[in-house]
Amino acid sequence: MAPTTCTITVTVNGQPHVAEVEPRRLLVDFLREDLGLPGTHIGCEQGVCGTCTILLNGASIRSCITLAVQADGAEISTVEGLARDGELHPLQDEFAAKQGLQCGYCTPGMLMRACEILAENPDPTPAEVRSAIASNLCRCTGYQFIIEAVISAAARMRATKEVAS
Amino acid sequence: MTTASRPGAPPVRDHSAKRRWVGQSIRRVEDPKFLLGRGGYIADRITPGTLHAAVLRSPHPHARILRIEVAQALAAPGVRAVITGLQAAELCDPMPDFGPDPARHTWRCLAVDKVRYVGEGVAVVVADSRYLAEDALELIEVEYEALPAVVDPERALADGAPLVHEALGSNCAYERTFDFGEVERDFAEADVIITDRLRWHRSGGQPLETVGAIAEYDPGTGSFTIDTNTLSFTSYLFMAANTLKVPANKLDIRPVPAGGSFGSKLFANKPAVIAAMCSRATGRKVAYLEDRVDNISNCDHHGSDRVYNVELAMMRDGTMRGIKIDVVDDYGAYMQFGVGHHGNALAQVVGPYTIGSVRYRVRAALTNKNQQGAYRGFGSEVNNWMLEQMVDKAARELGLDPVATRRKNFIRDFPHFIPTGNVYDSGDYDRVLDKALELADYSRWRAEQKRLREEEGRYIGIGVICAQERSVFSATEFWFWFDEPGAPVTSTPESVTLKVDATGGITAILYSCAFWGNSPETMVAQFVAEEFDCSPYDVSVVYHGSRDGLPATGPGGSRTTVMLAGAVEGAAGKIKEKARRAAAHLLEIAPEDMEWADGGFRVRGDPERRKSLAEIAIMLHLFKHSFPDDMESGLEGSKVFDHPYTTMPSADRKDLGVFYPFMGHACHVPVVEVDIETGAVTFLHYAAVHDCGTLVNPRSLAGHIVGGTAQGIGTALYEEYVYDEDGQLLSSSYLDYLIPSAMEVPEVGIGHVETPSPYTPHGVKGGGEGGRMMAPAAINAAVNDALAPLGVRLTELPMTPERILSALRAAGRAG
Amino acid sequence: MKPPPFSYAAPTTLDEAIGLLTEHSDAEPRVLAGGQSLIPLMNFRLAKPGYLIDLRNVTGLTGIRHEGHVLIIGAMTRMSELERSDEVAMAAPLLAEAVGFIAHTPVRNRGTIGGSLAHADPAAELPAVTLASDAELVAAGPTGSRQIRAAEFFTGPFGTALAPDEILTEIRLPLWHGGHAFVEFSRIHANFAVVGVAALAELNGDRIGRVALAVTGVAPTAIRATAAEHVLAGASADATTAAEAAQAAVEGLSPAADLHASAETRLALARTYLRRGIELATSRARNER
Repeated sequence: MAPTTCTITVTVNGQPHVAEVEPRRLLVDFLREDLGLPGTHIGCEQGVCGTCTILLNGASIRSCITLAVQADGAEISTVEGLARDGELHPLQDEFAAKQGLQCGYCTPGMLMRACEILAENPDPTPAEVRSAIASNLCRCTGYQFIIEAVISAAARMRATKEVAS
Repeated sequence: MTTASRPGAPPVRDHSAKRRWVGQSIRRVEDPKFLLGRGGYIADRITPGTLHAAVLRSPHPHARILRIEVAQALAAPGVRAVITGLQAAELCDPMPDFGPDPARHTWRCLAVDKVRYVGEGVAVVVADSRYLAEDALELIEVEYEALPAVVDPERALADGAPLVHEALGSNCAYERTFDFGEVERDFAEADVIITDRLRWHRSGGQPLETVGAIAEYDPGTGSFTIDTNTLSFTSYLFMAANTLKVPANKLDIRPVPAGGSFGSKLFANKPAVIAAMCSRATGRKVAYLEDRVDNISNCDHHGSDRVYNVELAMMRDGTMRGIKIDVVDDYGAYMQFGVGHHGNALAQVVGPYTIGSVRYRVRAALTNKNQQGAYRGFGSEVNNWMLEQMVDKAARELGLDPVATRRKNFIRDFPHFIPTGNVYDSGDYDRVLDKALELADYSRWRAEQKRLREEEGRYIGIGVICAQERSVFSATEFWFWFDEPGAPVTSTPESVTLKVDATGGITAILYSCAFWGNSPETMVAQFVAEEFDCSPYDVSVVYHGSRDGLPATGPGGSRTTVMLAGAVEGAAGKIKEKARRAAAHLLEIAPEDMEWADGGFRVRGDPERRKSLAEIAIMLHLFKHSFPDDMESGLEGSKVFDHPYTTMPSADRKDLGVFYPFMGHACHVPVVEVDIETGAVTFLHYAAVHDCGTLVNPRSLAGHIVGGTAQGIGTALYEEYVYDEDGQLLSSSYLDYLIPSAMEVPEVGIGHVETPSPYTPHGVKGGGEGGRMMAPAAINAAVNDALAPLGVRLTELPMTPERILSALRAAGRAG
Repeated sequence: MKPPPFSYAAPTTLDEAIGLLTEHSDAEPRVLAGGQSLIPLMNFRLAKPGYLIDLRNVTGLTGIRHEGHVLIIGAMTRMSELERSDEVAMAAPLLAEAVGFIAHTPVRNRGTIGGSLAHADPAAELPAVTLASDAELVAAGPTGSRQIRAAEFFTGPFGTALAPDEILTEIRLPLWHGGHAFVEFSRIHANFAVVGVAALAELNGDRIGRVALAVTGVAPTAIRATAAEHVLAGASADATTAAEAAQAAVEGLSPAADLHASAETRLALARTYLRRGIELATSRARNER
C-alpha cells in the first residue's frame, strides 16, 4: 500500500502553510520537522506529560496525540510565536526572572498552557495556577517557581491591558 | 575519629566576605534560548538526510534467542540496514563497564544469545524516518526460548535460582563485609539493639527528554563524531572508543543540552554506540532517539533497589553507638557502575551523628531487570532514609523525643572523620535544625496534630529528618571495593579554558560538561564575573567535545559547581599572572607593585596609573613588539582542576580514605495527612533547610531543592519500576510510572544556612541532589508519625495506597 | 512511538462516514473522534486500523439541546464544551462534575463524549455517568438509527454494543431532579480513576427516593450498583444507610488486581467512594430544596 498524502492548510504563528502530509504524521513531528519549528518538544508520545502542548484555535492540545491532518484549517500557536520583534512575552520574561525553568524541556509546553490559563482567567490565585498547570509535568523545578512566574506575568499583563484601555 | 591533622588535606582557605557576583540570584545565562524554543536539544539537531534507528526489544524477561529473521524488514520501504545482536557483536565490543567482572556479566549494545530483561534490544533497524524504522521492526521475526525469570533479589541469591549470567556461576555479582571502628565492642556495650527490615524499590530520573545521539562515521579518517545528550567522563571515553573498535583519538563526543537527567544521562553511551555502529554500517549520519518506552524499559539508569536488615546499637539515654547494615541491592541484569552506589552511602553512612562503628555488608544481586545507573543521590539518599527510619524507631522504642535524640548525637567538631575514613569538612547541624523547626512552625503543628486527631479523628504526621548531602566524588570510590583493583584510578578533574579576546571579551570553554538543567554556564559566568569584575552576561560560555577537550568529569555527585569554581579560579589566575606582567611592562613598573582592582591592573598607591583588561588584551593580541621576547601573544589560560581532597584507602580497607569531603547537610520537616480509608497522603506543610556552604546563586539552588524534593515525593509515594513475579515490566509508560504533577507537590518553604567549606573556592559545596536526598526519608517519617497511634509503621517505599491500606489491614485498623 | 500507516478520509456527512465503514470493512476501519484515546493506542501500535474515518468535518454531530425532559448531546461535542455549558450544568450536573475529572484541559479540548463512550475504557468516567443516568445512546448504521440503553451498551473492557458499521451520533440523558455526585480516587491528580462513583439521589422528605449509583474500577465495565440502590431506596438519608449501601454494593464483586491496587484495596476504595458519593448526592439533594 503506497503511502497516500493529504493536503492540509494550517496557519502557524500567523503564517499560512500548505503542505502534503501522510495521514499518520503526528502534528508534533509536522511542526518540528516539516515546518522547522523545533520549539515544541516530545516527552511521552502518549498524551500524558504535556511537553508537546500547543494552542489550536486558542485551546491547548497535545500535539503528540494529534494527527497533522486533524489540524487542517486551524490556527496554531507555538512557543516560537510568543516573542514579538525581539521582545520576550511577559510569560517568557517572568519565567527567566523567577527561574521557572532549569532544563527548559517542558518550558514551551508550559508557556503555551500558561497563555491559555491567563486568557481564561487573567487574575488567578496561586492555587488556581497550580491546579491548572497540573496538566503539564515538570521534572526539574517542582513547579513552585513556574507558578510564581505565571502569577507575576499575569500581573504585568493586566497592567498592560489597563494602560492600553 | 575527630582529628584534624590527617595527611592529604588541602590548605585551609581564607574566604573573602566581599563578593559581588557569587551569592547573587541573577537570571540564568542559559535561559533565553530555551524560552524562545531554540534549546538545541539532540532531537532539534537532525539535519536532512539523516537516517533514523529504532530498536526491537525483547518481550521476555529471560530467554534464549534462537533465531532472528530480518529479510522482510530489510525489504521494507525506506530501510537501509538491519543489524542483529549477533552482527553487532562483530561490529562492536562490549559496552564500557566499571562492574566487578565485566568478562562474566558482559554487557553489549544489543543482546546476542539471550535476553536478560523485558525491553533488552535484540536488533536495530535504520531507515529514512523513525516511522519507517518502526514499521520495519514489526517485520522482524524472533524465535525465543523462554527461560525462568528471577525477579526477587533475595531469591536471586538463593541456591538454585536461574542464573542471569551463566558465566558468573551465581547471581551474586559482589559480596563483601566492611568493618569500621569497634563494632563488636559497641554492640556488646549497648543497652538496646534496634532492629529493622526496610525495602526501597527502584525508581528513576525519567527526565522528560530521553537519551539520543546523532553519529557520523568518516571513513576517510576512520573517526566517529557523535552529538549526544549524555555526559561523558572525558578521560574514560577510550572505553567507548574501544566498544566502537577505534582508537580513543578517533572518537569525538560532543555534548548538547539535555532536557533533564538527574543522573540518567550519566555515561549513557548505548544510544551513542548504536547510532555510531549504524552510521558506520550505512555510511550515513544516523540518529537514534529513544522514545519513552525505550527509555523506561531500557534506560540503564534504574535507581537503587534495596533490602536492608539493620541493627542500631543504642544507649538508653539515646546515644548511638554503632550500626550493622546488611544490604542486598538488586542491580538488574548488568552492573555498569559496580557497587559505586554503596560508596556514596559509605561517604555519609553515619549521617550527622557521632556513631562510632559501622559494619557494612553489601551483596549485589543480579536479576532479570534493566540495570541500575545513576539517580540523584546515587545510593546515598537510600542510606539517609534507612538511617533516619532507624533513629525514629529507636526514639519510639526508648520513649525519647525524635528531635532531641538527633540533637544528642550531632557531630559538632569539624573537620570530622567518620568511621569509614571520609571527612565532613564543615557544618552546623544545630543551626540547620533550629531554622527548619522554626520555618516549619513545628510546635504549632504538633499542637494541631493532637487537636485534629482528638477532635476530628484525622491522622496528621510530622517528619523531622537530619541528613547529609555529600558533594564532589573522588575516583577511589569506584575501586576501593577490591583489595587488588585492576585500575586504582585517582583522577576526576574538571577543566576550564578562559580566553580574553582582543576587545577584552571573555569566553569560557567547558569540556564534556553537560547542561542538563543544572546551570553550568551561570555558575561559570558568575565565577568569571567575580574574578574579572565584568558582567556575567558578557561572558560567552561554550562547550567542547571530548576529542579536542581537556580532561573533564562533568556533573554528577553534585560536583560541578565546586569543580568549575576551582577550574575558573585556576584559569583566571594564569590570565591575571600574565596580564599583571604585561601591564607592568607597559607601565614600566615592577609586577609586584601592581594590584588587580575594578577590572584591571593598577599601580599600588597610584590608582590613576592603570590598564584595563581590555587594554592589556588588545596589546597582547596585536602588538607583539610592545612586549619582551618571552611573552607570547594572546591572553588565555586553562586549568585542569583535580579533585582537591582525595586520600587513598588503607590496604586493609578499614579506612577508605577521604573520597567525598565537601559535606552539606539538610533538615526537612513535612507535615502530612494520611487518609486511612484510601491510603492517600497529602501535604499540609513542607519546610526544607539546606546548608551547601557558600551559595553561588541562591535562587538556582532553591529551585534544585524544590525539584529534588518533588522527585523525592515521587520516590516516597508514587514512582516505581514495577516488575511482576514473571519479570514483566508493568509500569512501562507514564500511565503507570507515576510522576508527580503540580498537585502532588506542595509549596516548599526553603531556608538556607551557609557553613563555608574550608577547602573550596569561596567555600562552595555542591547541592544539586540534596532535595531528593532528604525527602523520601522525611516523608516516610511523617507518614509513620501519622500512623503511630494505630500501631502502623511503613518500612517500604514507595508508600502507595496499596501498601498503606495493607499495613492498616494487617494491624486491624483498616478504615 | 509512531503510528502505523493507514488510509484516511474526512467525510462531510454521516451517511458518507457510515458508507466508508461498510466499504472498507475488510481493512479494520475505525472512527476517529477526538483521538485522545485512539491515537495513544496507535502510537503504541496496540491499535492498527487500516482505515481511519475522521468525523471532524461531519455536520450534525455536535451541539447540546433539550427535548422535553431529555438532554441531547451530539457525540462529537468536545468535553471542554460540556464543561463550559450552562445547560449541562443545570440539566445534567452529574455529567458536568464528571467531565471535570477527565484528564486535563488539553485532553478535554479535543476529546469528545461520543469518543469516550465508544472507547469504553473500564476506568473511564462517562460510562458510569450514562449508566447512572439511564441514558440512551443513539447509533447510526447503514440501515438507520437505533437507541441503545446504556445498561446494554458496555459489553466488556473496550467493548460496546456498536456494530462494526455503526457510529455513535447522540447521547440522550434523562433529566434528574435531586442531588448528584461524581467522586473518584486516582493516584495522581486527574490521572485515570482507580475507582469512580456516579451517584444520583432524590429525597422524599428525609428519605431517599429515586436513586442510581454506578461504579468504575471493580468490574470489566462500569456497573450499576443495584444492590446498594435497593438498600437506599426508601431508607433514611444518613451515614449509616450510606455505609450499609456501600457495603452491599461490593459484596460478591471480584475486581481484577493490577499494579495500582489489589482486589481487596479496590473493594475498600469502592466502598469508601460509594459512601462518599451517596453522602454528597443526598446532601446536595437536601440543599437543593
